[in-house]
Amino acid sequence: MATHANDYIKPELMACCGAREIKDNDLVIVGTGFPAMSANIAKYTHAPNAIMMQESGVIDAQPKRIALSVGDPCLNPGAAMIGGLVEIMGMFLQAGMVDVGFLSGSQVDKYGNINTTVIGDYDHPKSRLPGSGGANPIGSLAKKTLIIALHDKRRLAKKLDFVTTPGYIDGPGAREKWGLPPNTGPQALITNKAVLRFDKDACEAYLASYHPGSSVKEIVDATPWELKVADDVHETQPPTSNELRVLREILDPGRLISIYEKKGYV
Amino acid sequence: MNKVMTAKEAISKHVKSGDFLFIGGYICRSPFSAIHEIIRQGIKDLTITRSNAADDFDMLIGAGCVKRFIATFLSLGLYGLGRCYRRSLEKGIPHKIEVEEYSNLSLPMMLLAGAMGMPFVPVKDMVGTDLLNVKSFMGENKYKMIDSPFDGKPTLLVPSLNPDVGIIHVQQADESGNAQIWGIGGDCQYGANASKKVIIFCERIVTRETIGKDPSRTIVPAPKVVAVVEDPFGAHPGYTPGFYDTDFSYGYLYQQASNTEQGFKEFLKEWVYDIEDRSAYTKHYIEKLGYEAFKKLQADFDYGYPVSYAY
Repeated sequence: MATHANDYIKPELMACCGAREIKDNDLVIVGTGFPAMSANIAKYTHAPNAIMMQESGVIDAQPKRIALSVGDPCLNPGAAMIGGLVEIMGMFLQAGMVDVGFLSGSQVDKYGNINTTVIGDYDHPKSRLPGSGGANPIGSLAKKTLIIALHDKRRLAKKLDFVTTPGYIDGPGAREKWGLPPNTGPQALITNKAVLRFDKDACEAYLASYHPGSSVKEIVDATPWELKVADDVHETQPPTSNELRVLREILDPGRLISIYEKKGYV
Repeated sequence: MNKVMTAKEAISKHVKSGDFLFIGGYICRSPFSAIHEIIRQGIKDLTITRSNAADDFDMLIGAGCVKRFIATFLSLGLYGLGRCYRRSLEKGIPHKIEVEEYSNLSLPMMLLAGAMGMPFVPVKDMVGTDLLNVKSFMGENKYKMIDSPFDGKPTLLVPSLNPDVGIIHVQQADESGNAQIWGIGGDCQYGANASKKVIIFCERIVTRETIGKDPSRTIVPAPKVVAVVEDPFGAHPGYTPGFYDTDFSYGYLYQQASNTEQGFKEFLKEWVYDIEDRSAYTKHYIEKLGYEAFKKLQADFDYGYPVSYAY
């Protein structure tokens, strides 16, 4: 039986939730921050044979410090292979080899569609965001995607200002209709309050577990759509002492993860 | 043929207002010295492209050099949204650029298709999203959706790109332009080879014989290249594997400066307009931020196992 720590911060719990979605031998495409930490926690605990790649061209990097971008210098020495975008996004992602992709967004809807392009009107933006980058192809082509988002009625949205990255688009059958690979799409939406999963038939996100300190009611109230609740809804398993040890002693001794608290992940 | 020249000569000879430029780099080997030279020479109305753009593209846009951007992404990474990019699109400062949106799969494939001499290429992403609903200067030629002639399935086609000039920064090249890199590739190889002509910026010029010791590292061969510029530290504040690290402190300096239009103008004056070339830039960096800061960025040596091509 794993022992659980009780002195952790929310971003650490979220990173552990991400890690638990990764299986041994998975090929995982990661960005920076949460995704990289999640994938590494998995690798140091239950998924030692998981392999990570960065879209910039790197496979199985062995970074000696925390990578601050997907093109970070520390990803180069020791990697198993370095190419470029055509290799990672084309030869591996588009060809169907990538098991898990991590995404985050400024707005996410109930089908797991994501906006990272614009807030407001596209032609007259209130706030211009970076754009797709690798997000759209990852959301389109990874076998499953994990989405990280803040849980409030602005970030989780009834309607996105712009659909940058496809989740289940407009519901059942839509991905197939557009020719996206079968049996792909969002698997979990990990927020600072809960883990939502996607119903296979309705393609809609439902509440699977609420984080310690939160409640079903609080989460339903903070969700802009009529959130369905799993019959077996339960409290999210807190980080195990082993997960926290890996995170704090091996991966992130400088506790950079606490930056996410300032970004609202509390 | 010896194609070695200064940055000033290379840009004035081979880049003109209205050109379509591929500018390579992915935080790794960003050709900053070329970007600064383009700004200094007041070149305008450019169409620019690269997958995953960063502070260098933000700077070109803020300096008013850009008319059109074939884009996938632009941010300052750790330091958030591109300030000049936002000012351009939200407030029209210095003017509103036109943006054609693709992704980090489709754009590299469009460059690969261009490099291959293919007219277009099928890609599997972008469908079902607003990336297909917004069209800018490429209009109906942004993409075509067809039923595949092979199996009838819906298939997205995107056009190939052939920029007028490709500009990349590499570790080493010989004087005729055989250009070698190691480390993260981004879309450099495809973008450069898709371009009608290529300007190589490098950390060091080496002999043809040195190139021949490890020819698998060459990503652009001499026949594509029109100019070779030796500009050590030329990718700063980006990095070059084996030479120097990313300069996060300088990234912060740029973020703070570019927060306001005035701050950005002062930054350009100090680091671009009042600077003659990359060696003057490096000198200014050391004078302003100290030799220790400069030295700290320099890479340690950790040579790989030498390879043999003998038979």
